[in-house]
Amino acid sequence: MVFTSFNFLIFFPLLVAVYYIAPIKSRWLVLLLFSYFFYINIKPVFSLLLGGVTLSTYVFTRLIDNTTNESGKKAYLIINIILILLPLFFFKYFGQINNSIISLLESVHLRWPLPEIKLILPIGISFYTFMAIGYTIDVYREEIEAEKNLGIVALFISFFPLILSGPIERAKNMLPQFNLLKKLDYEMVVQGLKWMLWGYFMKLVVADRIGIYVEAIYDNLQFHNGTSILFASILYPFQVYSDLGGYSLLAIGTAKVLGINVIQNFNRPFFSTTMSEFWRRWHISLISWLTDYVYTPLSFTFRKYGVWGIVIALLITFMISGIWHGAALTFVVWGFMQGIFLSIEALLKNRRTVFEKKYNLNNKIFYISFGILLTFILFASSQIFGRANNLNDAFLVYRKIFTTSGPLFIGNPSVFIFSLLSLSLLLAKDFTDEFIPGFLLFDSKNKIIRVIAYSSIIILILLIGVFDGGQFIYFKF
Amino acid sequence: MVIKKIIFNILIILVVVMTLDFLFGRVLRHYYFKETSGFHYRTTYSMETTDADILIFGSSRANHHYIPELFEDSLKMTFYNTGRDGNGILFQTAVLKSALKRYSPKLIIIDYYGEFIKNDEAFEGLQSLLPYYRTHEEIREFITLKSSNERIKLLSEIYPFNSQILSIAIGNMERNKQRYDDKKGYVPLFTIWPSPIEIISKYEEYPVDTVKVEALRSFLDLAKRAKVRVLVIYSPIFEKFEKKQEIEICRDICSHEDIPFWDYSKDTLFLNHNNLFRDVQHLNDNGAKIFSNLLVSRIKHDLFRSTVNKVSESTSSK
Repeated sequence: MVFTSFNFLIFFPLLVAVYYIAPIKSRWLVLLLFSYFFYINIKPVFSLLLGGVTLSTYVFTRLIDNTTNESGKKAYLIINIILILLPLFFFKYFGQINNSIISLLESVHLRWPLPEIKLILPIGISFYTFMAIGYTIDVYREEIEAEKNLGIVALFISFFPLILSGPIERAKNMLPQFNLLKKLDYEMVVQGLKWMLWGYFMKLVVADRIGIYVEAIYDNLQFHNGTSILFASILYPFQVYSDLGGYSLLAIGTAKVLGINVIQNFNRPFFSTTMSEFWRRWHISLISWLTDYVYTPLSFTFRKYGVWGIVIALLITFMISGIWHGAALTFVVWGFMQGIFLSIEALLKNRRTVFEKKYNLNNKIFYISFGILLTFILFASSQIFGRANNLNDAFLVYRKIFTTSGPLFIGNPSVFIFSLLSLSLLLAKDFTDEFIPGFLLFDSKNKIIRVIAYSSIIILILLIGVFDGGQFIYFKF
Repeated sequence: MVIKKIIFNILIILVVVMTLDFLFGRVLRHYYFKETSGFHYRTTYSMETTDADILIFGSSRANHHYIPELFEDSLKMTFYNTGRDGNGILFQTAVLKSALKRYSPKLIIIDYYGEFIKNDEAFEGLQSLLPYYRTHEEIREFITLKSSNERIKLLSEIYPFNSQILSIAIGNMERNKQRYDDKKGYVPLFTIWPSPIEIISKYEEYPVDTVKVEALRSFLDLAKRAKVRVLVIYSPIFEKFEKKQEIEICRDICSHEDIPFWDYSKDTLFLNHNNLFRDVQHLNDNGAKIFSNLLVSRIKHDLFRSTVNKVSESTSSK
């Protein structure tokens, strides 16, 4: 069951009703039961793995908390991280390792073909694994105490809005909320519903519509010219934004209706003027997780190398981010490119600041626009590796963009026009939120305007939403 | 108090949404059935109006491979091509059911293309049937195959016309009718495929999806029950291969149902000529002319000259 399935429209109101009818003290149990019901409905056997990760995390965090010996604490920390990471590595990288060994055996003529075993990646494993690791490290660092109630730990790791694609939450934000669930709050419910509505718009109207065009191009690269491939490559970052951003808003909104605050995952990233700003606005929960648990310890380790230490830490962090996305080389290159872009910015930061001050550029529209455009180009060029099916395809994309031209592929005119229309609406909203915050439709003081705004979005979803579109992109990560 | 406020506000929005949904949906419905050209119009015509002697069924390959006037002139029968891009066997069965409710054609030709592998291919195109749900009781069983929730979704007036607003507008334009004058369902393709033929050393075998096998069988049974002569065709394709599982399955089904199956996938007349193809799967207009002429002669010879002579194997595919 996912947010865009029809069943969710039955599941969620039912949950809200049961949740608010139940006594406050037992609401965490309602959430836990519904969360497992939600996850079990995807593939029952995966919930055993989820239960295993939960149990391991609970036991070892309690052991860390109850141990005074530093080396003992560290041992428990490492054991738990290894135990949690094992299934992730196995399911995520099994295919890649398997294929590499088969190629090796074939190259020395030792391959003996037997029926192939195909393993499906347990959905959400990358997300709940990171949440469990984060919690374990936080307990080890004594930033929080280990939770004594196994049910609350289970709820934290399996909380249904977040389990499939994040945001990757932190125990220090979630555990206190689960332990002290709130009464029905009108403002929170309304805000949550608004975010859910916009999340549905982003996913069904923007992401899935653009996805049809991008897929038509990227899955048939040999038949398309550079113009069409370039256009699809420009659209793809918007597809990912509206897909994961839409999912995140649905998750955050769902939690908000239940009176639970979840961290923001996107903050209008395409208005960033630098790559470092971009990464403070894009997939915020993943980057802040990597910053806290990977980048900061690494930069501390490499501090003696000065700015070059930062460069090394950035490169390693983003390579890990790439590998987290998938075992393919394309993701490694993608991560490496982010690391390079950010390293260059870090190395040039002082000179850039001096230059900007000297010519007073920070408030100049043309300079801001140039920064926004350059940042988008850099990110979009790296996303070619994120989207291409393999490295050869990624290089083919670059080669065709620079060497071939011709008329733009339109395909189905409805898909093309609706893609542009929906994207314009999304960017218009982001633009007004970013630069004209007083211009409000969803939050207008006039109730009639608000009602018309909500209703129009629902009608637009019915009119041009893609109801039988694909899954969320990040379900495969 | 808070609950009342929330429910009250949700109800207000629901009322506004339902009103807008009703108004927009009714307008879309009105203009959908007023279309005078395009694929919506052709489907409506196939289901509600045609009384042609020969009906062609299939997806895009059917739509672009069979030229009406060549059949009509030679066989002295009326003809309509109901083929529609990207629509699977279930869609075709639903259209057939609607047509058979009104009359019995003399010959039904189904251009079967599609693997019998387990995926959603058979369910493709069922979305296209949604506008007919209210008025065509006979096709409802197919729509509910799409998902068990379709009945609830269809409470919305807009939902059956989801993503169709632009096509409906275009289908109502006189200019579109003039540009793409309806050729009795046939839509010609004009460009030439530039690449050499693809040689497939071996197609992987796959586990057969019984839903698809049954879907084809039920199409054939439906036609047979209506006492309509049926012909299954695998039209030319620009690929060289030894064996394709779906062709073998199709042949078996036809043999079992005692229905002729004519396979043109290995016809050298097409295999050696990329200039007859628009792409790997589709003949262009020139290719369609040659193929239609070839087929017409064979139908004349094999089907209408003698009712006894039913062949289940292609003799022209050499």
